[in-house]
Amino acid sequence: MHSTLVRAQNVFGFFTTVCFVVAGFIALSDFSWERKPSSTVSVKDVQVVRGRPHYYSTKKEEYAHIRFNLNTDLSSLFTWNTKQVFVYVSATWPSNSTGPRDNEAVIWDTIITSPSADHLQNIGPAAMKKLVKSAKGKSIDPSRGKLNLKNQKAKYQITSPTGKLAETDDVVLKVHYNVQPWVGMLTWTPQVDFGGWKTMKGGVSKAFTLPALKKKKEETKKKATS
Amino acid sequence: MADQLLEKVRDAAEGQIDFEGQRFAERLATALLSIVGFISFAVGFFLQDIKLALFIGLGGAALTFLVVVPPWPVYNQKPVHWLQVPGNRSAGQGIIVDGKVIS
Repeated sequence: MHSTLVRAQNVFGFFTTVCFVVAGFIALSDFSWERKPSSTVSVKDVQVVRGRPHYYSTKKEEYAHIRFNLNTDLSSLFTWNTKQVFVYVSATWPSNSTGPRDNEAVIWDTIITSPSADHLQNIGPAAMKKLVKSAKGKSIDPSRGKLNLKNQKAKYQITSPTGKLAETDDVVLKVHYNVQPWVGMLTWTPQVDFGGWKTMKGGVSKAFTLPALKKKKEETKKKATS
Repeated sequence: MADQLLEKVRDAAEGQIDFEGQRFAERLATALLSIVGFISFAVGFFLQDIKLALFIGLGGAALTFLVVVPPWPVYNQKPVHWLQVPGNRSAGQGIIVDGKVIS
């Protein structure tokens, strides 16, 4: 500590140590809040149509267009260390092959930011202004964890590896989430209770059957008109 | 004259402090940074505001730099008093090179 340079180095060195220790405590503080998310999801409307995976493809596959209702209460996931919560809905159905795993495809997702991370949201200036204003003066905003979607259109049309999807039985929609903290570990929907972190209450729809292909009807209609 | 001026600038930039000052600066830096870390966590935790915690941490670190790094007079209150070279031995150390005593 005898000269300016040595003092600057020592102070900075200990500053980094303090940063890491405080960050460690912040990460650990995640465990001091209970997480008891709940959600209900139900299918509103399903269509199966034939389509191409991309424009120049000669292959045709069956795609399911799913509309659903979603009601979530993820407000307990929002603490000071929550940067954003990624919420996604997937459709799961049993695999035809003897494999142990079900088929699962994400049909819809969204990012819920904490007010501390609003500036990271990739939205236009008007929407950004509204978003920032919605949490003005608040450092956290658990009310953003409450989603209430009616007749929501899926973001992604799903198909299966075989390309066949029509008349599939036992399809269920599941709600998942992924908490992304400022410091600490990413955590996904827990499958078992872990201390104060409970599993999702609800979050699985009733099993439903995908309908038969819809295209024929439209084709006949087109032929009739042309 | 220019040499003297340059020497002064060099001294100011080097910012030497005495031994007691070094001990004090070391302890002060450790204490200040630890306290700042604790306060930033506590305030952030209880007010649920991570940005506030970040800014308290950074502000406190900047303050610590300001307090500890420059050679403030507080760190130079007990300068080392070197013993005077005894006058009667100023003739040299008595080293003999090539048969001559070097002064």
